[in-house]
Amino acid sequence: MAAEAGSGNETRPEIRPSVGLPRLLAEFVRLGTVTFGGGLQSWIHREIVDRLGWVDEDTFLSGMTVARVVPGANGVNIALYIGFKLRGAAGAAAAVLGMIVPAFCVILCLGYLYRRFGHLPAVHFVLAGLAAAGVGATLTMGIKVGRRLPRDLATSLTAVAVFALVGVLQLPMIPVLLALVPISVGLALLAKR
Amino acid sequence: MLALLLVFAPLSILSIGGGQATIPEMQHQAVVVHSWLSNGEFADLFALSRAAPGPSSLIAALIGWHVFGFWGAVAATLGMFLPSSLLMYAVGAWWHRSQDSRLRRAIERGLTPIAVGLVFAGAITILRAAHAGALVLATAGAVCLLQSATRISTHATVGAVTSIYLLIFYFT
Repeated sequence: MAAEAGSGNETRPEIRPSVGLPRLLAEFVRLGTVTFGGGLQSWIHREIVDRLGWVDEDTFLSGMTVARVVPGANGVNIALYIGFKLRGAAGAAAAVLGMIVPAFCVILCLGYLYRRFGHLPAVHFVLAGLAAAGVGATLTMGIKVGRRLPRDLATSLTAVAVFALVGVLQLPMIPVLLALVPISVGLALLAKR
Repeated sequence: MLALLLVFAPLSILSIGGGQATIPEMQHQAVVVHSWLSNGEFADLFALSRAAPGPSSLIAALIGWHVFGFWGAVAATLGMFLPSSLLMYAVGAWWHRSQDSRLRRAIERGLTPIAVGLVFAGAITILRAAHAGALVLATAGAVCLLQSATRISTHATVGAVTSIYLLIFYFT
């Protein structure tokens, strides 16, 4: 993709499309209102990276990991980071508001309906389906991203170890990351030499 | 109202790894410490927050609304999202500025396999919570295939899954 090597003062050519603030806000409003059932970040990846190409895969991935370590809802944090990358502070604010405000209105309406009418079994059933779709989106993203990993033993082992410890054994994420991140980054530093 | 802010702002800073991490403490604060609602009511609000779009920590809005009406919901939401967002902004800005240093490149490369592991771990965690049956697995597989093979949008995917599940629900 970055075929023409920037030989000027700029070390890294910016291949970022210019995205207007209203467009940015509109996109995150759309994402904030349709992303049910967990896996918020996979839906964001689908739209922002896969379909719109606003940020590249590496930017998204490193931003996503940072977003998961920093406190706060993961999806909101990633949105904030992408908004910041694209349009600075105003973009960050627009992305966060886009993710929260419409969802805030919807949840209050749902709360009201729930008080009036009680629980509907059909709604419950559909929500299970949307959660399953969220898992599908997460798998798509994992496969796509996993394909781009460098093919060496240390990298594969790290990915498998994180999956096994956090996913299969359900250990708390923070201690696992505290142990594995320094190792993984250290290996990457050594490999560069 | 101030009490709402004082309960949710610390939770915001503590919600490392996502909103779900703070649910037990939120329940303790709202039910036991402040007795704003009963255990059953909390469970209902939790289900609702999972049913709504957007981040699941918006359960804070429902609790605030339950206690102090609309402005309570606003106060609780601000308390839940403002502190963590400011922190994320500071970290994100720093991360953005340190571009192109050798250390940063190494951090980026080192974080990639961790991110991939976390993505798959996230999938399995949702599957566990959903008590995966054949239908759930088939849906997840179908969505994954469809997204890999086509450029179908998120909105089309959500719409299609909703319609199919409604059909299954009413015709079986």
